[in-house]
Amino acid sequence: MKLSIRHRTEYRYSERVRHSTQYLRLTPRPSRRQRILDWHLDLPEHATRAADGFDNILHVLTLDHPHQSIELTARGQVEIVDEDREDDDARLSPLVFARTSALTATDEALADLARDYEGAGSLDSLERLSQRILDDMPFAAGVTDVASDAAAAYRGGQGVCQDHTHVFLACCRALGIPARYVSGYLYSDDSEHVASHAWAEVWRDDRWHTFDVTNQTRRPRHHLKLAVGLDYLDACPVRGVRYGGGVESLNAVAHVRLTGAEQ
Amino acid sequence: MLSRTAADLYWLSRYFERAENTARMLDVAWNLSLIPFAVDAREEITAPLVITGSLASYQASHDDIRVDEVMHFFTLDDGNPGSIFHCLRAARESAHAVRGKITAEMWESVNSTWLELREIRELGLEGYGASEFFDWVKNRSHLFRGATYGTSMRNDAFRFLRLGTFIERADNTARILDVKHQIGRAAGDGAVDFYRWHALLRSVGAYEAYREIYSEPINAERVSELLILRPEVPRSLRSCMQMLCELLPAIEGHAGQQSKRLAAVQFARLQYGDLDHIVDTGLHEYLTDFLRRVNELADTIREEYLEVV
Amino acid sequence: MGPLSLPDVSGYDEMILPGGKVRDAYKGYHRWLLGQAHDGLLRKRKEAELQFHRVGITFNVYGEESGTERLIPFDALPRVIPAADWRRLEQGAIQRVRALNLFLHDIYHDQTIVRAGLVPAEQIFGNAQYQPCMQDLDLPNRVYSHISGVDVIRDGAGTWYVLEDNLRTPSGVSYMIENRRMMMRLFPELFAHQSVAPVEHYPSLLLETLQESGAVPNPTVVLLTPGRFNSAYFEHAFLAQQMGIELVEGADLFVKDGFVFMRTTAGPQRVDVIYRRIDDDYLDPLAFRPDSMLGVPGLLSVYREGNVILANAVGTGVGDDKSIYPYVPDMIRFYLDEEPILANVPTWQCRDPKALDHVLAHLPELVVKEVHGAGGYGMLVGPAASHAEIEAFRERLRARPANYIAQPTLSLSTCPIFVDEGIAPRHIDLRPFVLSGKDTRLVPGGLTRVAMSAGSLVVNSSQGGGTKDTWVLEDGSC
Repeated sequence: MKLSIRHRTEYRYSERVRHSTQYLRLTPRPSRRQRILDWHLDLPEHATRAADGFDNILHVLTLDHPHQSIELTARGQVEIVDEDREDDDARLSPLVFARTSALTATDEALADLARDYEGAGSLDSLERLSQRILDDMPFAAGVTDVASDAAAAYRGGQGVCQDHTHVFLACCRALGIPARYVSGYLYSDDSEHVASHAWAEVWRDDRWHTFDVTNQTRRPRHHLKLAVGLDYLDACPVRGVRYGGGVESLNAVAHVRLTGAEQ
Repeated sequence: MLSRTAADLYWLSRYFERAENTARMLDVAWNLSLIPFAVDAREEITAPLVITGSLASYQASHDDIRVDEVMHFFTLDDGNPGSIFHCLRAARESAHAVRGKITAEMWESVNSTWLELREIRELGLEGYGASEFFDWVKNRSHLFRGATYGTSMRNDAFRFLRLGTFIERADNTARILDVKHQIGRAAGDGAVDFYRWHALLRSVGAYEAYREIYSEPINAERVSELLILRPEVPRSLRSCMQMLCELLPAIEGHAGQQSKRLAAVQFARLQYGDLDHIVDTGLHEYLTDFLRRVNELADTIREEYLEVV
Repeated sequence: MGPLSLPDVSGYDEMILPGGKVRDAYKGYHRWLLGQAHDGLLRKRKEAELQFHRVGITFNVYGEESGTERLIPFDALPRVIPAADWRRLEQGAIQRVRALNLFLHDIYHDQTIVRAGLVPAEQIFGNAQYQPCMQDLDLPNRVYSHISGVDVIRDGAGTWYVLEDNLRTPSGVSYMIENRRMMMRLFPELFAHQSVAPVEHYPSLLLETLQESGAVPNPTVVLLTPGRFNSAYFEHAFLAQQMGIELVEGADLFVKDGFVFMRTTAGPQRVDVIYRRIDDDYLDPLAFRPDSMLGVPGLLSVYREGNVILANAVGTGVGDDKSIYPYVPDMIRFYLDEEPILANVPTWQCRDPKALDHVLAHLPELVVKEVHGAGGYGMLVGPAASHAEIEAFRERLRARPANYIAQPTLSLSTCPIFVDEGIAPRHIDLRPFVLSGKDTRLVPGGLTRVAMSAGSLVVNSSQGGGTKDTWVLEDGSC
């Protein structure tokens, strides 16, 4: 399946920003299941390209002069090979992903939730956990924000893909199972659907398995991976620090279309 | 030099200079307020509030303008960001941040000033004595300046210290000189006027200079000329601008083009200025314009040299 | 007040032998002491305090109003280490730090020690101090911990033990230097008659170490401090000044086009080596804790490209974590094929159920420490704790056993100090500072910390501990 992506992010500030630095994870890494046919970033200035500790492709963008807006566009074409098997990157021990993080720390409620699935540890029981999470906290935009942690989101009883994923990761880790956060894009024939997406991968039987809690799928055939990490902060498409600027307003639009023969 | 270090040095000397000038200004007000037959004490004691632009913030926390309260407000009041206490604490904090860049003797003069000030504060201004306190502040400032002059390397650290001194001094001299306008009404008889100008000269330590240069009785025009245009007087606006003009180009590197230009333009205006022009413009208008220019220069120095993110 | 008499001691005292005689290394000092009067020494103590205040050698205390400055109590009676003892300590500390650097390189590369089954994988990869961003990163000289503090003590029998390793941002070296300066100022005659090995060259050795860690010739080195409200700010300013390098805060630095720059009055200037006194978590708000403004946004990306050197490296905490400490003797054997020169204190890892049972049964005798704690916070000293404190701790221990280790209560050696009443013994430890660049070395000395109240075993300056000058006597001197 060939997908065409256009993702535009614009930050506007009420006051002058004196200096800003951004980590951009807006470029997908080629792997067995995703071929990058072409990819471009349109940025206000040259950004240095590097790899981060999770092997994500990272661009570092520094604007060292006064500015009042930042516009970032990622666009390109990729082919998702119809196979859900992910590359097993052996470079980093999966045990790293069994560790908790600030956004995936468990409170009592999450520990209780995880305990219901203790002992089983099989992919099927994790699938039931995933189902339970979506039942307990149905998809709703605007209830949580990007800084919400798993415990707060679960307590709130609603959330978006980021929250579903965090709650799922928190439970896996409470059970001692390595699990990681994935950020990326999702194709949906429903054009209203949010195209920026997050889901989880679980390390079982020496390989990573996809769990998309929000969409209740384990076959990521419509998913384009941008980055992985312990949680949102490691993998999010844009993470920045600015000095000055006052109030920020964000406008982000991502379009994912089918291209080629399948259109 | 790090911009932040330069900023700390600059503010160290600015705050010390401000403390000294505040003491000088208060000394005058205090002395005038003690001469009941000549002037209205309340008016004299209002002058520092007006000069420093802190009348509103004073009135926000005080019902009445009373000599002892105004004195406390400007000396040991922790709540007034313009108080000597506040200035010397800020100076000490800046010095602390750049301890590695100033000599041990400079640091010790700042630090021991702060330690002594804390003891004085325990006694209160009345306990210590107002005149004694103003002399003490001036002496501490002389000591710091002496330690700076006598031990500091002639490098950028020294230059930023000096920049702070002269920016602050230019601002303060102009404000003090504008006092007559600020008090608000034409002064009464000649005697009151005489006292005021006399006290003003003393406050900036220029009484002897006046006597040396002019043979005529103390009057507004000559005092203005002395404190604006005379190159021999170290607190005159011209002297301050001349120092700034010498210091800025001596700083290493090629930054600061706009600062250098603004300083040079303002210096030229004073160097080739004359009293008639000032009188024609009106002293208050002239000084208001000068203060605007000095503040613009200070802002530009901050942007071009001192700002971190 | 008259001349001073030596107190009776129990346990191992650095100066005084049971029966009242003094050890050989203290003979010269003791001869001098016999000629001193108590009030004279008290005057010297006052002079020292005054001087420390004047120079501003102060210490900011956690939990108090920000900017509170306090002096660390200074004791004017030196701690003397004989040359032979020092040589052993020196070799032991070097051996240990070499092994720890090899360990850090190994776990961030091939993990042979894990494969060999010596350290369990989850102890490393599950440890929050293991930084994934360091995996497969190559560092110059393979050095991770450029500056290491190895805390050693003597027990009641006089045997040296390593209490813990400090591989993150060990502090206290400025007191080592300032204490020596103070002693030379107060008692110049003491140094005329004995050859005390100098420590004043530490800053130049440190600068050399930092320079040779750089990837470019003549690197620009800076010291990155969290700022003037940090407890060790004085030390940061002191070391920067002594080395003649810039003392910078996060806001002075920025990242652009793959390099780190500092903002100067003459425009941006490239920085090659950062001696950072900021913890990993705060180094780069884009990579670690997002809420911290102490660090430099983007710093990690430059570091990973090799365009800036950090000393110490990111992720050294996995080497000095108390859960890793028990494995250090094995590391020495594994990497160096040598027997450890300095012993570890026997340690129970409470994560192990058997060890936990033992610890729970012997709490009143043991010292229990939090695995990730530092500075003497969150620990239980069994013999000094009340019944209630022990029971409260028991609950915490049961709730999270993996969070704790336990050790026997060692009766730390004592060393006499000056008190108002005369001379009295107090417990001490020692932190020598090991520098690792192209080779591994240390200056002869260290920071001797003193528990200032009688019987106390807590030497941490954050909890009222003091310091004293540490003399390593050169051969033939006594």
